[in-house]
Amino acid sequence: MAVPVAQMFTVTKYVLTQKLTGVKRYPLVLMLEPLFRCNLACAGCGKIQYPDHVLDKRLTPEQCWAAAEECGAPIVSIPGGEPLIHPDMPAIVQGLVERKKYVYLCTNAILLERKLDEYQPSPYLTFSIHMDGLQEEHDLAVCRDGIYDVAVKAIKAALKRGFRVTTNTTLFDDAAPERIRKFFDAMMELGVEGMMISPGYSYEKAPDKKNFLKRQRTRELFSRILHRPKSGWRFNQSPLFLDFLMGKVDYQCTPWGNPTYNVFGWQKPCYLLQDGYVATFRELMDQTDWDSYGTGRNEKCADCMVHCGYEASAVDDTFGSLRGFGRTVVATLMPTSR
Amino acid sequence: MTADKSPSSDAQNSEGRVFRPANDAERGQAIEVAFDYRGDVTLDLASGETVVGYIFNRNSAASPPALQIFPRDQPGSRVIPYAAVRAIAFTGEDTASGKSWETWVQKKESERKAEAEQIKAEAQARGHL
Repeated sequence: MAVPVAQMFTVTKYVLTQKLTGVKRYPLVLMLEPLFRCNLACAGCGKIQYPDHVLDKRLTPEQCWAAAEECGAPIVSIPGGEPLIHPDMPAIVQGLVERKKYVYLCTNAILLERKLDEYQPSPYLTFSIHMDGLQEEHDLAVCRDGIYDVAVKAIKAALKRGFRVTTNTTLFDDAAPERIRKFFDAMMELGVEGMMISPGYSYEKAPDKKNFLKRQRTRELFSRILHRPKSGWRFNQSPLFLDFLMGKVDYQCTPWGNPTYNVFGWQKPCYLLQDGYVATFRELMDQTDWDSYGTGRNEKCADCMVHCGYEASAVDDTFGSLRGFGRTVVATLMPTSR
Repeated sequence: MTADKSPSSDAQNSEGRVFRPANDAERGQAIEVAFDYRGDVTLDLASGETVVGYIFNRNSAASPPALQIFPRDQPGSRVIPYAAVRAIAFTGEDTASGKSWETWVQKKESERKAEAEQIKAEAQARGHL
């Protein structure tokens, strides 16, 4: 299993507590963006296109810890921008670990090897390395040659020092399934704890028919990638989410599952859409018109099958019915049955 | 700069334009486009003040309706009522323009390399590499 038992237990206890206490909408992963500045400029990335004075803004450690406490999610994902640029990132991470949050620090790994001394290995800290494929595909995706090799070297260094390391991979319709399967082999050979995959998000406002075909293409792509998975592959995410990507199960989006906090405040409604900001997490939950978002409800959501909206749906399914729980158990214990 | 009363709904084509709304509806529409715009704008306020910065939020349902802006030369944000806005000029570069994956792939190899080198040099200059 890619996710350690202690982490699984914490998440299970958290979700069951929400359900038993009648909480209809609960966050699962806080997406904490302490800065938008990055040392790459990946084409198509919608996170870093701001004027310089906005890119130079940083959340303070205190703001980050307060957001984590206010939100209450057991997992904190730190994307960006490139988090390792933030001078206070070690303090931010340490404070979150002290609060027993499972931290996934998402990095392109360019600075990782140089900064490893500033972090302590912990069951609560995982470096989630951005890897969009084998060398050729990854270097093209991040728009700079040599980055794949830098990341591989950093992964080896982090693993050697006892850190938890996973990969996060965004795939688009033009991905070659056989190359991605080889990439999975390569990451497992490196010794990472698990891999996270997700389709990319397109802001295109296309007619419904085209959007439907896009979702169909996404399902076909992931079916080809994940069909008969090798026994050595480990995924650090819900097995039901992988089933969703393959089209074996359908979910509606859970936009409140991964609430986002950044230098602008709490982002409405989700990690990908920017319909406005509010000052508190409570305002986000109470004032967002959640029924306006999700597939079939909003044209911006038509194509979306991204983890930040649908992984929480998969987790909710696991704990929402015996059938969902049973399917999760089977998929976890017998992943090659897929 | 061109001057218009009200903008099209497309923020991507707004760079370099100026909007001088004639009424509340046009003002609300212009602010909505400015909110979607990934660059700095210049606001002419009724007080005679000029504010240059990035509009990161707006609330047309608030009482009174207001926008939030990060002024380019100040550390914090400001809240400005819609009614105080006399004109909006899209003066800053649209940082999202031409940054799509499709555009990147369609570029010549030499153009991609030159652009990548420039971004790398900028990151190095900032001490981020």
